[in-house]
Order: sequence, then structure tokens, then C-alpha cells
Amino acid sequence: MSGIGSGYDNSVSTFSPDGRVFQTDYAQKAVDNSGTVVGIRCKDGVVLGAEKLIISKMLVENSNRRTFPVDRHAGVATAGVAADGRSIVSRAMSEANQYKSFYGDPIPGHVLAERLGSYVHVFNLYWYVRPYGVSTLLATYGKEGPQLYLVEPSGTSHRYFGTAVGKGRQGAKNEIEKLKLEEMSCREGIQAVAKILHQVHDEEKGFELELAWICEESGRQFQRVPQQLAEEAEAAAKAALEAEDMDD
Amino acid sequence: MGTTIMAASYDGGVVMGADSRTSTGSYVANRVTDKITPLTDRVYICRSGSAADTQNLSRYVQWFLEQHGMELGDDPEVKTAAKLAQTMAYQNKNLLQASGGLAGLIVAGWDKHHGGSVFAIPLGGTLVKVPFSIGGSGSAYINGLCDRLWRPNMSEEECKAFVVKAVSHAMARDGSSGGCIRTVVISKDGIKRSFIPGDEVPVAAGELPPPVRQVRA
Amino acid sequence: MPCRYPYVTGTSMLGITYKDGVLLASDTLGAYGSTKRYKSFERIRKVNDVCVLGASGELSDFQYIMRLLEELSDDDFCMDDGHHLKPAEVHSYLCRVLYNRRNKFDPLWNSLVVGGFYAGQPFLGTVGMIGTNYTDVHLATGFGNHLARPLMREKHRPDMSEEEATELMRECLKVCYYRDKNSINKFQMAKVSAEGVTISEPFALETDWKYKLFENPAANAAGAW
Repeated sequence: MSGIGSGYDNSVSTFSPDGRVFQTDYAQKAVDNSGTVVGIRCKDGVVLGAEKLIISKMLVENSNRRTFPVDRHAGVATAGVAADGRSIVSRAMSEANQYKSFYGDPIPGHVLAERLGSYVHVFNLYWYVRPYGVSTLLATYGKEGPQLYLVEPSGTSHRYFGTAVGKGRQGAKNEIEKLKLEEMSCREGIQAVAKILHQVHDEEKGFELELAWICEESGRQFQRVPQQLAEEAEAAAKAALEAEDMDD
Repeated sequence: MGTTIMAASYDGGVVMGADSRTSTGSYVANRVTDKITPLTDRVYICRSGSAADTQNLSRYVQWFLEQHGMELGDDPEVKTAAKLAQTMAYQNKNLLQASGGLAGLIVAGWDKHHGGSVFAIPLGGTLVKVPFSIGGSGSAYINGLCDRLWRPNMSEEECKAFVVKAVSHAMARDGSSGGCIRTVVISKDGIKRSFIPGDEVPVAAGELPPPVRQVRA
Repeated sequence: MPCRYPYVTGTSMLGITYKDGVLLASDTLGAYGSTKRYKSFERIRKVNDVCVLGASGELSDFQYIMRLLEELSDDDFCMDDGHHLKPAEVHSYLCRVLYNRRNKFDPLWNSLVVGGFYAGQPFLGTVGMIGTNYTDVHLATGFGNHLARPLMREKHRPDMSEEEATELMRECLKVCYYRDKNSINKFQMAKVSAEGVTISEPFALETDWKYKLFENPAANAAGAW
């Protein structure tokens, strides 16, 4: 019974004396150490961006994905344990599929977010499971227009105008707050996201940028931002950052 | 349950109508049946076929929609109700057939996304969106009449008059339909039920209107 | 489970290949027994950008089959690897589904036609309610097999132009309308080619009834009916 948790960190079925569930906190830490993932809701859609730290020079480009469609009108970006992320993705896909089979309509964003939250939450209740080490940014485009949600390891789910998770989340959130999201198009949004991710990236090693969006231009379908657009956005973001550095 | 049921859409809503006869063989088991059943505040279902089967089907759909409304945080759409009823009818068509029970359904109502809409769910469990729909044994007698009288963009009053006329003509020829005429009007303002008692149902050619009751002083 | 019978049905579905793709055509009737009940039922539906499905027979089963295919193409979309079902794969899948259901003595009461265009090749295949299947350069289900296919055999060439193919299709539709009591003069035609899938708005065809002998069939045969 020694160490930081004094034994209260072994299982999610025991609270610590000051009211914490340490396993849940640790799961959140797994997310906090991951590459930054940013989501913003622009006036015409949602943009998701992920900073993918390069785990090996021999890694084949685009083989470690972080953004995934889960239906035509919905997609996620995950931060944290990648394998846990895939499991969340397949759960989200089957929720979307089941909803469509049962009700004959695409699943609304808030329903999917709520259901994912409930699913994740269950893993914070029993001693024989561990919580998901993943935060999920969910982008949807339905009757209510474009929307962005965040589902955390504890099972909470909230809707955001813009948010960030992972290593650089604090810096990224500060930058997002400065954006005029209600005036910004997704075209401008991908550049803003690219810029933020470059800004908060603080390692010698480079990173791979992954951008996905759902907007009018993508036919209200979730997709990775077309390669050429993504490259242009990244180049413009880098140029803007360099220009700002010159001013300093 | 030999029946006449129908629903028609107009500018801003729908009118549903039905006779009130339930028979077992030749005997009229109930002469004031209500065949227009609520599924939610603004979505109703007209039932024809086995009363037992369609009552239970309706209960299931009511329950599903109640759950759905809570999850959605909003009123369910008409098409969602129709899809749920269709699924029940389709998945159980073998049972419905084996027990001699049959389900011919019309789901209609109003929602803020699509306004008034009518969905027909005939025997096999096909789901068809239609401007108006007639069903039950009595409907066979009024296909021509309805094709002649139905127009798009009717007013509420015109649409209701159309429904009452059609149902009364079906009741005049179909022995399995009769009694009273019930109607339900559904629009954004809510629902309005009305009831035409058997002695006030329009009388068709070849029959006599019931004598006016003598009121004693 | 006792055997079933169909309730709301569609009649013939026609399909032909031509130089640059395939055409599918049918009327838009959903018949209830011999009652012409639903006159705007779209019996040809898009599966994905390279494939359409046309159905005759029980329409509730067709709606069910379309949901199966929608699930498959939603999965393709989510995999997001650029792959999607090819027409031959859709056809093969449907053959399995229909044959599997007949083995459960609970058949899906349809004759289906799959039309597609992939890698420069047109595809046309059919499946029956017990899983019988084949591909050909021209196809028809139900009554169309008797009424339209003789015309197709006479006039169809795989290297037809789109105009020629459309003309042949209209002729076939017209004959089916004349001679199939459960049909209406309201049709849709679908095209799958390198440009993708298009399904036409409903249209009607001109019909001929003004022959002199139609008015008085007994004119040259006294005593005839």
C-alpha cells in the first residue's frame, strides 16, 4: 500500500478518500500525453485535425490514421491509445448502423455522442475492466446543422464550438478562442487548424498532419480533406507562422 | 375487423377517418369502435385487420416512440413512426398470416420538418409515402371516388369533407363497415377529433334517412 | 413457417447493355393483387456510383434488400479505403442472399436485375426468388421475358449507341404495357455508364390505338367477334 495512489488506484470500483477514481484520471492522462487533436465548428461545417507524432522513420505514411468516418454524416478523431480508438470507432459505426436500421434515419449527432458517452462510461464502473484511454472528437452534419462533440474517458460528452485534446491542448484552446468561428468557412478552418497544430507542436521531430472535415463542400459527408487542399492549407499555415516569427 | 380507414394530407396537415364497426363473423361486436389510435401527440395510426394484432402492434410503436422522443429531446417525426410500424408489420408477417390476422395500417400526422404526411403500410409490410391512402375492406368500393375527389392543396375543411364523403360511401356498400364516422385532424396547432353519430352519417342512393325523432313537449 | 405469397408487387424489369453502359427500365406501379394501387413506386434504385438494382415481385422484400445493400455501401464508406462494391459483387451477394432465404423455406419474393458499369465493362445480371441466376447482354424478369426478350433478341447488339439502346428499351416498355395487365404507362429508365448513375424522372410513352381495324375489327370478317 505505497505509491501515489495508496492502493486506491488499482480499480475503478473504489473511490479514493478525496473522491477520485484514479483509474479514470489515469485514462485521461493517457489522452493528455497523446498528439494534439483539434476540432472546430465553422459556419458551414466542422474541421478535425490531428498531430501525429512520428513513431518510426520506417512508418508508411497514412498508415496510422486518427480520423475515421462512422457513417456518411458523422466521423471521429481520436486521441490517446490508438487501439482503444479503433474500438470506439467500431462501436460508433455499429450504433449509427443500428439506429438507421431501426428508425430509418441517420443518427443525430447528440444521440450518437450520448450513446458513445454511455458506452465509455460503463468501463468506469467495474473492477474487471479498465477505462478507455481515448478522447473522441465527433463531427456530425444533420438536421441541426454541423456540430462538434467531445467524449472523454470518464464518459462525459459535451458539445463544443471548438476544443482540443492531447499534449498541446492548452495552447491550442487559447488559439481557438481567438478565432471568429461563426464567420469562418471550413476552407479557412483547415488552415487555422493546421496553423494551430504547427504552433503547439514542440518537438524536434516533425509530425504528420491529418485533416478531416464535414461541410457543404464535402457534400455533407465526412471525409479526409482532399490531399491537395490539405497540402495547400499546411503550406499556408507554415508561411503564416514564419511571417509571425519575423515580426517578433 | 372489416373496416374502412383513410388519411389524406392537405395544406398544413392531415385528416384521418374511419368507420366504427367491429364484427365477429356476421355479428357486430362493437358498433362504436375507435380505429384511429394515437402513437404520439401528433402522429396517429389507422388500424385495419385483426384488432388484437394491430392493437398490440400500436402499443409497441407507442412505447418505441416514447423512448425515442426522450432520447431525441424532441417530438418524433411521422416517418419514424411509420418506419417502426412497418418494421413490426414486416418482421411479423408470417405470424400475422398464420394466425389469420392481417395488418393494413395507415400512419399519418404532422411534424415540424415535413409538415403533414401520410404513410401507407399494406399487408406485406411495404412502406409507401402517399398524398392520401384508403384501407380496409370498404376501401375497395371507393377507389374511383377518391381518385376523382382528391386534389392537392385542399383546405382543412375541404379535406375533412372529402374524408367524410369517402368513408360514408364505403360504409354504404361494405357490410363490414358501418356505424359512426370518426375523424382526426392533425396540424401544427394540435389535433381535433370529431364524431358523426350513425344516424347523422350521409345517406347514399337507395337507402332512406332515419326519421327525425319526435320531441315530446 | 408456412409458405408466403406476395402482396404488393412490381411487374417486369428490363435491362440491356450497350456500347458505353447499361440501361434498366420498368414502370412505377406497386400492384396490390390486380389492383393498381401505388402508381409512383420507384422500383429502380441506385446502389452506388457504379451500380443500380431493379426489382419485380414483393416490394416490401425489395425495401429490405435495399437496406442490406445500404449497409454494405455505408461500410464501404466508413472503411474509407477507396474500395466499393463492383456490380458483379453486388450480383453475387444477392444470389447468395436469395438462395439462402429459399433454403430456409422463407424466400424473398423477388426477381432482381443488377445493372452496372465498371472498368469499361457493362454488367447485367439477374437473380430469381429461389436463387436462380445468370448474366446476359439483355435481360427481363417476369412477363418481360415473354414480351420484351424476343424483341431484344431481334434488335439488340452489344455495340449499340445510347440512342439506339434507348429506342429499343422504349419499344420493349411499350409492348409490355400493351400486353401486361398489371402495368401502367408511367416508366423510369436508369443508365449506368462511365459518367455514373442516372435514373430518369417518370415519363409516359406514346401508344397506337388509331388503326381503322381497331375501331371495327369485324369489318373484313363478317360474323367475327
